Amino acid sequence: MTSLSELQDFIRFQDNFKNFLNSSKVPDICKTESCILGVDEAGRGPVLGPMVYGIAYCPVSKTKILNDLGCADSKALTEEKRDDIFCKMLSNEESLNTVGWVAEVISPNYISNSMYRRAKHSLNEVSMNSAIGLIKKAAEDGVNITEVYVDTVGPPEKYQAKLSEIFPNYKITVAKKADSIYPIVSAASIVAKVTRDHALKLWKFKEGLEMTHTEFGSGYPGDPLTKKFIRDQIDNVFGYPLLVRFSWSTAELMLQEKAATCVFEEVDDEGATKKANTKSISSFFAPKTDEGKPRKRHKFFEERFLSVSNPFG
Amino acid sequence: MSIIVENNLKTTENKELFEQKAHYIPCKIEDDGPANVKKYFEPYIEDKNGELSASFRGHPLDGVKIPIPEGYKAIVVTEAKRPLAENAERKFQVAGGFKYFTNWNWNKKPSQNDNIVRAMDWIDISEAIHGD
Repeated sequence: MTSLSELQDFIRFQDNFKNFLNSSKVPDICKTESCILGVDEAGRGPVLGPMVYGIAYCPVSKTKILNDLGCADSKALTEEKRDDIFCKMLSNEESLNTVGWVAEVISPNYISNSMYRRAKHSLNEVSMNSAIGLIKKAAEDGVNITEVYVDTVGPPEKYQAKLSEIFPNYKITVAKKADSIYPIVSAASIVAKVTRDHALKLWKFKEGLEMTHTEFGSGYPGDPLTKKFIRDQIDNVFGYPLLVRFSWSTAELMLQEKAATCVFEEVDDEGATKKANTKSISSFFAPKTDEGKPRKRHKFFEERFLSVSNPFG
Repeated sequence: MSIIVENNLKTTENKELFEQKAHYIPCKIEDDGPANVKKYFEPYIEDKNGELSASFRGHPLDGVKIPIPEGYKAIVVTEAKRPLAENAERKFQVAGGFKYFTNWNWNKKPSQNDNIVRAMDWIDISEAIHGD
C-alpha cells in the first residue's frame, strides 16, 4: 500500500460487517533496535460505523522522524493534514524504513454483537482486547518492543496494571490525552483516525441503501445528519442497516419508539433470587378450587412448547 | 368454526414456491406482516461447515438448518380476507412451502436440546402411540 487510493481500495474490498486488519511491513530496523510503540483509537463515541484501533512503532533512537512527519496532537490536525501525514507514512522512504503501523477496524456489527451477547462485553473490554491483540501482533511480527504508550479515556491505573501483567517485559505508560503528549501515540492516532474516516466514507450498504456519508454524516449522535438517519432509516422488523451500533442508547431508544417490539429470552442475572415455590401450609386445608381448571399437560409437552391449539385463531 | 385450506398449486410448475426459506428467530417480534429478510438478514448469514451465524437487532445468532421430517410437509398459507364473525368459516390458500427451516439461537450453538428439535420427538412418539 503506497497511497490513500490503495487504502481506499483495500477498505472497499473488505466485508464491512466483520473486523479486519491493515498493516505496514515491519521495517527491518524495528526488528533489531529497541522500539517504542503507541496505541490509540478513533470512533469510540459514534453511533455509526466502525471503531478503529491503531498502533505505530519506531526505534527509540529514531523518534525525530515522527516530528518530521508532523505527528502532533491529532485532534488539533485537520482531516486533510491527517490524510497528508498518513500518505507520507505510506510513501516516504525514510518513514517506510523506520515507522511501522497496524490498524484494526472493529465493525459496528461486532460492537453490537459484543454488547448484546448473553454475557455482555462492554466497549471497554472490546477496546482493551483490540489493543492487546495489536501489541501481540507487532511482537509476533518481530518488532523489538521495549516501551508502550497508550491513550485512554477511562482511569489509566487499572488499564496500566492489566497491560503490565500481560506484557511484563515492556515499560508501559497509560495516560489520558497521550496522543497530545507522545508523538508515537499521535502517529497511532493518525493511523486510526484516517482509517476510520475512510471506512465511514466508503461504507457500502449490504442492505442496498443508496446513501453516502454526505447524507448520514459523521456518525456522532449529535450530528444533525446522523440524527436524521437514525430517525428515518428504520425497518420495522430489522431495525437498522448494520452501519448502526444497535447497542447505543440513541439507536435503542429510537427503535423502542418506532419499530416493532422485539422480546428476547431473558438472561438470568447472577444473584437474582428465584421465586419461592413452596405453598403456604394453610393452603393444604383450604377447599379445592381447581376443579374447573383444564387438566395440566405433561412436562414432556411443556418443555417442547407443544400444545393443542388453533394456529389460525 | 371450520377451516378450509385450498391448494391451487398442486399442478404448479414453479418448484421454487415450495422451496422457500424460513427462519425461526429466538425472539418474539410483536408484529405480523412482511419482513425484508432478503435485504436486512440474509446478506449477513455466514456458513462455516453447516454452523451458521447471523445478526438480528444487533444480537449475535447461531443457527443450523433443520429439515422437515420425512412424511411431513411445511406449507405457507394466506388468507385473502379474515371474516369479521368469530365463528365464520375461514378459507386459506396454499401459497408455497419449505423443505427446511433455519433454527436460530441467541448466542448459543444449536443443539439436540433446543426445544424445536425436541418438539420433533413427538412425531416418533405419536406414531408409536397412534400408528397402526
